[in-house]
Amino acid sequence: MNFDYLWQGFSVALTMQNLLIGLAGCFIGTLVGALPAIGPINGIALLMPIAYTMGLPAESTMILLAAVYCGAEYGGRISSILLNVPGDAGAVMTALDGYPMAKQGRAGEALMLSGLSSFVGGMLGALGLALFAPLLAGLAIGFGPAEYFVLMVFAFATLGSMVGSQPVKTLIGCALGLMLATVGLDATSGAYRFTFNEPELGDGIDFVVLVIGLFSVSEALLMLEHQAGGVTVIRKLGRMTARLDDIRKSVGATLRGSAIGFVVGVLPGTGASVSSAVSYTTEKRISDTEGTFGKGDVRGLAAPEAANNATACGAFVPMLTLGVPGSGTTAVMLGALMLYNIQPGPMLITERPEVVGGLVASLFIGNILLLLLNLPLVNIFARVLTVPNWLLVPGILVLSIVGVYSTHASVFSILLMLAIGMAGWLLRKAGFDMAPIILGFVLGHVMEVNLRNALAISGGDISILFQSKISIILWILAIAMAVLPLVAGRRSKSRALAKAVSPETSA
Amino acid sequence: MSDGMSSSAWAGRIGGVCLLLLALAYGIGGSQIEYAFASDPLGPRVMPVLLAVLLAVLCLVYLIRPGVSERFPRGRLLARVLAVPTLLVGSVLLLEPAGFAISIFVLAAGVGWIFGAPFRLAIAGAFGQALLWWFVFSYLLDVYLPVGHLFG
Repeated sequence: MNFDYLWQGFSVALTMQNLLIGLAGCFIGTLVGALPAIGPINGIALLMPIAYTMGLPAESTMILLAAVYCGAEYGGRISSILLNVPGDAGAVMTALDGYPMAKQGRAGEALMLSGLSSFVGGMLGALGLALFAPLLAGLAIGFGPAEYFVLMVFAFATLGSMVGSQPVKTLIGCALGLMLATVGLDATSGAYRFTFNEPELGDGIDFVVLVIGLFSVSEALLMLEHQAGGVTVIRKLGRMTARLDDIRKSVGATLRGSAIGFVVGVLPGTGASVSSAVSYTTEKRISDTEGTFGKGDVRGLAAPEAANNATACGAFVPMLTLGVPGSGTTAVMLGALMLYNIQPGPMLITERPEVVGGLVASLFIGNILLLLLNLPLVNIFARVLTVPNWLLVPGILVLSIVGVYSTHASVFSILLMLAIGMAGWLLRKAGFDMAPIILGFVLGHVMEVNLRNALAISGGDISILFQSKISIILWILAIAMAVLPLVAGRRSKSRALAKAVSPETSA
Repeated sequence: MSDGMSSSAWAGRIGGVCLLLLALAYGIGGSQIEYAFASDPLGPRVMPVLLAVLLAVLCLVYLIRPGVSERFPRGRLLARVLAVPTLLVGSVLLLEPAGFAISIFVLAAGVGWIFGAPFRLAIAGAFGQALLWWFVFSYLLDVYLPVGHLFG
C-alpha cells in the first residue's frame, strides 16, 4: 500500500497557516457542537462559502471544515451532559448516562472521560481512514459508469434502511434531492430543465443556497417554536479529572464504540446518530449486567462518544474514494469540493494527494488539538450554553445571508434560499430528515451522468447494469440492505408480541 | 411522545397530497422538456419522468401510513414564526439599496424581539451585531458586502 499521500498531507497540514486554520476550526466546531440544535452541518454550511470567498485553497478549506466537523462531535457532548439537550444528533445517546452523572455532581468527570473517549474514537477513526482510503480507492479504480450507478443505488438503499424511523420519509427526501439536482442546463443535450426562464437557474440550484436554506433557515424557525423553557444548565462541574478506575472500566466500551463507529461511518449515508445508537445498545447488551446503564454508567458514556467521533472519520472513506458521502455532513463537504471543481473519486488520492492527505493528516492533528482544547477550556465552552436565542438566531441568519451573498452577489439567490428554508421547515415539521435531500442532490447529477454514460456504451441495453461482478455484488448488497431491516423489524415485532402474550398464558 | 408533539396524521396526509401533486407537475414538466439533439439513448426527459414515478409511488405509501409529524403552530406562535421569514425577505430587499449594516440591523432587531428580547435590548443587540459582522466580514475577512446607495 502506498502512503505517500499521507506524508505529503502532513507536510501540508503542518504549515503554520493550516495549523492555525485547523485550530480555529476545532474551536468553532466545539462551539457549534455545544450549542443545542446547531450541529456540524449548520457550522460547515455557514463556513464553506465564506472560506471559498476568502480565497483559501481547497486543502485549507477541507482542513477547516474537517476540524469543524470533528470539533462539533466533541462539542455535542457538552450540552448533552450539562443540559440533557444533545448538541447534535450524534450526541443523543451521550445524554443517557452523561446527564445522570452530571446530576450526581460528576459533570466534570463525565466531560473529561467523554473527552478522552472522543479522542480515542477520533484517532482510531483517522487511522482507519488512512489505512482504508487507499485500499478502497484501489478497488474502485475498476469501476465504470454502470458500477457507479449501482453504487449510488446501494447508497440510497443503505440510507433508506438505516436513517430515521420511517424509511419512506428518508426515500422521499432522497427523491426530492435527486429532483432538485435535475434543475438547470443538461450538459449532454443542451436542454434547460425546470429553469422557468430564470437565467439564475441556468446553472442549477446552487449547493450553498440549498444547504443553508434547508439547515440554517429552517433551524431558526424551529428554534422559535422550541424555545427552551425551564431547561437548567448544571453549573457545578465537580472534580475536573477522570478517575483511573473509570478510565480502566471504559477501555473496552471505547474500543468497541470506535470500531462500530468507524464501520457505520464507512457505510454510505449513515452518520453519527446511527453509530452512537448502535454502539450504546451493543454496549448495554454486553456490559449492563447490573442494570446501571442510564443511571450514570461510564461505559454508557464512553461507547457513543467514541463511536460518533470514529464515524466522523469513517464517513470520509467513501466520500474521498468513491465520491459517495458517508454522512450528511460529508455530503456537504463533498459539495464544498465541488465548489473548487474537484470531483471526488478513486483517482483523487493520486491526482490531488495534498487535498486527501491534508484532510487525513488534519484529522490526526485536529484530534490532538481538540483534546488539548477541550480538557482545560471545557468551562468556557459550557458558558456558550447560556447565550440567549435572541442573540444567537440573528447571528445564524446573518451568516446565512452573508454565505449566500458572498458566493453569488445576488438577491435572487438569498430569496431562493429563504423559499427553500420555508419548504425545509414544513418538511421537518412533518418528520422528514434533511440529510437525505442533500445526499440525493449531491449524488443526483453523478448518478444520472453515469446511468446515461453506461447506456450510451451499451447502445441502450439495460443489461449493462447487471453484467460485471462488482455490479452484481452491489445489487445483492443493495437488496439485502433494503430487505434485512424489514425482516428484522418483523422478527422483533413477533418476539415482542410473544413476550407480551406469554405472561398471560402462563398466569 | 412529548407534550408539544401530536400524531397529526391529517397534516401528514395533506403534505403527502402536496408532494404527490409536485410529482405530477414535475413528471409532466419533465416529459415536455424540449431539446434539439440527444447524444445518448436516454435523453434529458427520462430521469425526471422516472423520478416523478418514484416520488409518486413513495407518496402513495406515505399517504397510507403518514406516521408522526410535529404539531403545527397556531395563533400567536404561528404569527411569530411567519414574521421571521417576512422580516428576512424585507431585510434582504433592503440589502442592496440600504446596505449591509442597515439591513442587518433591521433583521437582528426584529428577530431578536420576536425571540423574546425586551425592545431596547433587541435594538442594542442589533446595533452590536451590525457593527460586529460588518467589521468581521468587510475588514477582517475582506468579503464583498453591499454598501447601499440610499444615503448617497
